[in-house]
Amino acid sequence: MVQIAMATGFILILMGLYGALTNHNILRIIVSFSVANTGVNIILVAVGYMHGRTAPILNEAVPVAEAAARIIDPVPQALVLTAIVIGLGITTLMLAFAYKLYERKGTLDISKFSELKW
Amino acid sequence: MVNVIFIIVIGLGAAFLLGLLRENWRNAAYALTIGSLVSMAWIAARWLLFFAVEGGTTVEVFTAGTEPPFAINLRMGIAEAVLLLVVIFSGLLSAVYMSKSLFRLGGRAMSVLLVFIMALCGIILTRDIFNLFVFFELAVIATAGLLLISENKQALSAGFKYLIISQLVSVFLLIGIIFTYHVSGSLNIDTIAGVSLDTMKGIGSLAFFFMLIAVLTEAKPFPANGWALDIYESAHPAFSAMFSAAMAGSAAVYAVDKLLLIGGQQWLPVVTAIGLLSFVAANLLALAQTNDRRTLGYSSVGQVGLILAVIGQRDILGDNYLFIAGGILLSHAVAKAGLYWISGLIGQRNLTDWAVLRRHPMLILSFVSFIAMLSGLPPFPSFYAKWDLVMILATENRLWILAFILLGSLLEASYLFRWFGYILKRETPRQEKNEVENKSPLLSLVPHKLLVIFSALATSWGLAYLWGELSAYDNLFYALPLLFALSFLLLEWVSVWIKNTLAIAGMVAYFVISYPLYDPLQIIFAAIFLLGGAVILLASYHVHGRRIGFYPSAMLMFAGLAMLVVAEDSFHFFAAWEFLTIGSYFMILRGKNSEPHALSYIIFSLGGAFLILTGFALAAQGVVLFNLGSLAHVAAPIAPWVFLLLAIGFMTKTAAIGLHIWLPGAHAEAETDVSPMVSGILLKAGLFGLMVLLMNMGKQQLYGIELTYVMLWIGALTAFLGNLMAVFQEDAKRLLAYSSIGQMGYALFGLALMNQLGWLMALMFVINHYIYKSMLFLSVGGVAKRTGTRDMYKMGGLIAMMPLSFIAVLIGIIAVSGVPPLSGFGGRWIFYNAILSSEYRLPMMLIFISGPIAFLYLFRLIHTIFLGQLKDDHRQIKEAPFWIMLPQMIYVAALMVFAVVPGLLLRHVDAYLSPFFAESAARGGLNWQGLTITSDYGYWSPIPIMVIIAIIFALLFAWLVFVNRKAQKVKQFNIVYSAERPFRPETTHFAWNFFAPYRKAMGFLIQPFVTRFWETLTELLHTIADLFRRFYTGNGQTYAIQLLAFVVVVYLFRVEF
Amino acid sequence: MIKRVIVLLFLLGLGLLFIAFMQGYTPDSELNLTGRYYAEHTAQDIGATNIVTAIIVTYRGLDTIGEVTVLFLTAAIVGMLLSRGNRKGKSLQRELPQSGELLTTGSYLLVPLILLLGAYVFINGHLTPGGGFQGGAIVASAILLMLLTDPLRHFSHQLIAIVESISGLLFVIIGVLGLFYAGGFLDNRILPTGELGSLFSAGAIPVIYSLIGLKVGAEFSSMLVNLSETEDS
Repeated sequence: MVQIAMATGFILILMGLYGALTNHNILRIIVSFSVANTGVNIILVAVGYMHGRTAPILNEAVPVAEAAARIIDPVPQALVLTAIVIGLGITTLMLAFAYKLYERKGTLDISKFSELKW
Repeated sequence: MVNVIFIIVIGLGAAFLLGLLRENWRNAAYALTIGSLVSMAWIAARWLLFFAVEGGTTVEVFTAGTEPPFAINLRMGIAEAVLLLVVIFSGLLSAVYMSKSLFRLGGRAMSVLLVFIMALCGIILTRDIFNLFVFFELAVIATAGLLLISENKQALSAGFKYLIISQLVSVFLLIGIIFTYHVSGSLNIDTIAGVSLDTMKGIGSLAFFFMLIAVLTEAKPFPANGWALDIYESAHPAFSAMFSAAMAGSAAVYAVDKLLLIGGQQWLPVVTAIGLLSFVAANLLALAQTNDRRTLGYSSVGQVGLILAVIGQRDILGDNYLFIAGGILLSHAVAKAGLYWISGLIGQRNLTDWAVLRRHPMLILSFVSFIAMLSGLPPFPSFYAKWDLVMILATENRLWILAFILLGSLLEASYLFRWFGYILKRETPRQEKNEVENKSPLLSLVPHKLLVIFSALATSWGLAYLWGELSAYDNLFYALPLLFALSFLLLEWVSVWIKNTLAIAGMVAYFVISYPLYDPLQIIFAAIFLLGGAVILLASYHVHGRRIGFYPSAMLMFAGLAMLVVAEDSFHFFAAWEFLTIGSYFMILRGKNSEPHALSYIIFSLGGAFLILTGFALAAQGVVLFNLGSLAHVAAPIAPWVFLLLAIGFMTKTAAIGLHIWLPGAHAEAETDVSPMVSGILLKAGLFGLMVLLMNMGKQQLYGIELTYVMLWIGALTAFLGNLMAVFQEDAKRLLAYSSIGQMGYALFGLALMNQLGWLMALMFVINHYIYKSMLFLSVGGVAKRTGTRDMYKMGGLIAMMPLSFIAVLIGIIAVSGVPPLSGFGGRWIFYNAILSSEYRLPMMLIFISGPIAFLYLFRLIHTIFLGQLKDDHRQIKEAPFWIMLPQMIYVAALMVFAVVPGLLLRHVDAYLSPFFAESAARGGLNWQGLTITSDYGYWSPIPIMVIIAIIFALLFAWLVFVNRKAQKVKQFNIVYSAERPFRPETTHFAWNFFAPYRKAMGFLIQPFVTRFWETLTELLHTIADLFRRFYTGNGQTYAIQLLAFVVVVYLFRVEF
Repeated sequence: MIKRVIVLLFLLGLGLLFIAFMQGYTPDSELNLTGRYYAEHTAQDIGATNIVTAIIVTYRGLDTIGEVTVLFLTAAIVGMLLSRGNRKGKSLQRELPQSGELLTTGSYLLVPLILLLGAYVFINGHLTPGGGFQGGAIVASAILLMLLTDPLRHFSHQLIAIVESISGLLFVIIGVLGLFYAGGFLDNRILPTGELGSLFSAGAIPVIYSLIGLKVGAEFSSMLVNLSETEDS
């Protein structure tokens, strides 16, 4: 289970990075990075997963006393939320930048924005 | 004590509060921003006080009422307090600096700025790896936002490139964090560091690698840093200041430092290697830059690399770690921020456009202080830090690291000082009148921006004082000569008369005060440095006005010389050496066309200084105050290396052949009264160093080669080739300069003989060379001043116009050429005695030949300048100014006196030297009786010689007058060139290319091989730099690929460690 | 083409590192140090049944405040970026076809419900799956719906900014109160932890999460509005 999720995550990362590093279109790059980010998030969750356990919410099914034996690791769950939100923030920002870049040059080809160099 | 968390609370709270203010309440918003930055700074400062003065210990701050590792905690210690101050102050000052832009953009921009600073503080404070990630992302996003403040349209694309990179970085960082968490069961740095290493093996170390490389990327290592350079180039300078000083230079490197607690010692080499590579490569590539902000960006990358390298050495730095890393870090922060702030005043982006600063002494002082800080020159913190670092590296035998650090420093110094040359020497760009109004002015002196820059200046000097106090050595600020020199900075507004008088009085007084402390050898050098300097300074009275910049530089050089003579340990010796180097560089740079020559002077000198530094470090082997006398006890395997390094270092200053190319230009292009100072006086510093070295270390063998024997050859070759090159000069001052090279060759030869006579002769040369070379430079300088040219073939017949100068030159060349009766002959006489008593016949021949060669060129000074036909434009010429003549007349008198009573000084020295050469004294000593000196080969009695020569001269003169009594006077007339104007008029002058036949015969010897070698080297470096910087294609995607490649390659190399 | 090969090559290298991760990875059978502590102490110390919420809001509250700031910052920068330059007057906008009766009415019906759901999700964050970020996103989706129905609808930037700022400020203030009235910055026990599992329990967590919900909702809305207003040509 975990291995599959993790492999999926890694493959998504590699796919995302390949897309981000080979596509010329800025929008495609942004989407590719989103894919890679999703991969990272899957890995985050997968690392916290433990077979045969339940979500870290205390209720009838998970009494306080047995919590330690019943729940999966809650920390990665907390981390992934933060990671998602931050990823979202950066993606938004990239989109806004992309809009402005397009407005300036009328193109979304990343190789056209290389006035600063050397 | 205020809880540290309030730094974050204030930053955040104010940022949120700004959103509540109305769009047009810009004043209130700005006041809130500044107010919260000030209170953040106050908290940090209060803590620093607590740690530094009140002896407080590190404090842990818990959040959420739970102990770590279960909740996030912050740590506040002295390192954190200092870094927080750097971050907040750079933010505060930048906020003041860019107030106009912030007003334009409103509250949103201000809150982004506050969050940026808050996030950097968070990076420094937090002890949790995931929290570190959050603060890093905040800083990244805020960076992208702050880039929009720039007026440069390209900033937008730079920001996008940065976002791409940060996406990659966050992928790596998150993978690293989650697997580290998996392995260790914690996110707290200290808890993870406590987990046993076995657990961390396998994917633990792989996970750590991902975290480390991600955080390292934020420190912009070469080559994965193209995006950073683009940001530096395009951002608002005030933001670049923060980005360099606070983000890369403080927060990111501290994060690396924290992470290394987890990784442990085995990762230090990786950080070192990346740091060193960045330091050397960035500084190399910077050589080819023309854009000022991009240059600063490269320099910034380099400096951060250096800090990383220091972090990588923390296993051997021990208690000095904070002192060394802090010294370099703070120097970089203050200097780089200051330079970026200055760049904001300047309207155009080429390095040469900074020439507009020339009219503003305070800005020049700021610039100089900042580049000195970056280059690690005294008295700034980086000097103390680099000294300690080099000492420890040498002791621990990490010589490769040492070599790379020094190489990088030299590269950095060379473009920084080249830039300084542009400021002082390049043509000030002019604003085109018809250009559009809205184009930015070339230089805009806005009061609040200047305030920011000057506060950085004040900080730099304050830190210099502080680091002096903290160092294990004396604070250099307590050195009287240095204080005296610096006080001239405050006197810049008074006239030359007052400053010159003060300078002379100070130098003489210092000599008198210190007189009882000197030993005979020191007396000779101190007398030349201080009294000799005072005499030359008499000539400076001829300048009118204020002569801004001259006195602080001159006094800095003399302060260095004065400190050099009395230095007892290697630290003080080296500090003095650096002072005299910087001071003399500034003086040489004052000459009209001296920009390239001053640059090659400072590069050679700094290179030499680094060799000296390494030599001392190898010798000291960890001893804190290494007495120069202990050089004698350096053990066998390293002793010859120490000798070699020090000797080459000192020979750079004496311009031994191969290292001489800086001298002719530097000496010839300098101002009239500066040439004698740098030639007559400064060259002796190198000889002094060699004497100290040889006296203590004696003969050393390296791979069976006697090093003093090599030196002997170098001396002989220098004497021969120096003189030979002088023969073919057309420029009178250049001729004298080459002659100095030759003369120093003699002295070097004498010292390398390693016997008493040789040394005596060297000392004789020290004194003589000072007198006659100063005199000749002054008289030639006076002539050049009157005629407006230094080319000898453009002069002629000046004897009638400038008789006193003629006399001075005549006496001078008699003294130089070593013919009786003047003291030069005394020198030669001792010299011949010395070489006759030694076995080295072959180099001796060279030295013998150089004598007559010297006469060839000296003769031209009289023949071409003073005799022959007077040129038409020179008919109204007057004698050189009184103040230039006065020292010359003093020298004439001194030469006479020294010729008659050479023993006056030398016998004391002789007595002082004899214990050092006990074995050779037995067979080759001198005997001093009255005025007569006796050696194994004969005797020298000055008075009879003087009388005999006088009689011969009188007889010849009388005969000449008698023979010529009927000679007919002919008027000068114009020559008509068969109705044809020559293409190059100078070719028709008899004195042009005077020694053409000799050039035919011996010219092959003076082919500028050495010059060509150094030029090729420089060109090669520039070509490499220009080639490799194309690596930064400007395409954001390429940068990302480079980062990916960097990660993979570093991991592959890591396996090697 | 060469570029693709190079990228593939380096990604292969990276992939090998990933494989090393996969091979070296052994799933935990027991909760580790930190996880165990949370499982055992959350109920009595924090009083929240959703342990993840307890971690997000309290134990790792500093992360969360940073996270909220990320959104705040992004919203501010997007605002700065898109309000920059020559924003054309509203009059120049193109004429849009009518959204249609069905869509308009449907959205009027749905928006209050969505808002309600959002509020429910963030208020109950300490008890059930969900919380401020999820709730905030739901709230923002209501705004998105409104924008989709009427792209030219004008939202008050001022109002959004005020909600954003006040909720952020209150978050920080509650955090500071923890410093004075409880164990430290962001400690939720400035209010009584109450009975486990009830709405008014877990100290300040519901309050904080509600603020986060409002703030996140406001920030997402601000970004959406800003991005939609670029649609002017």
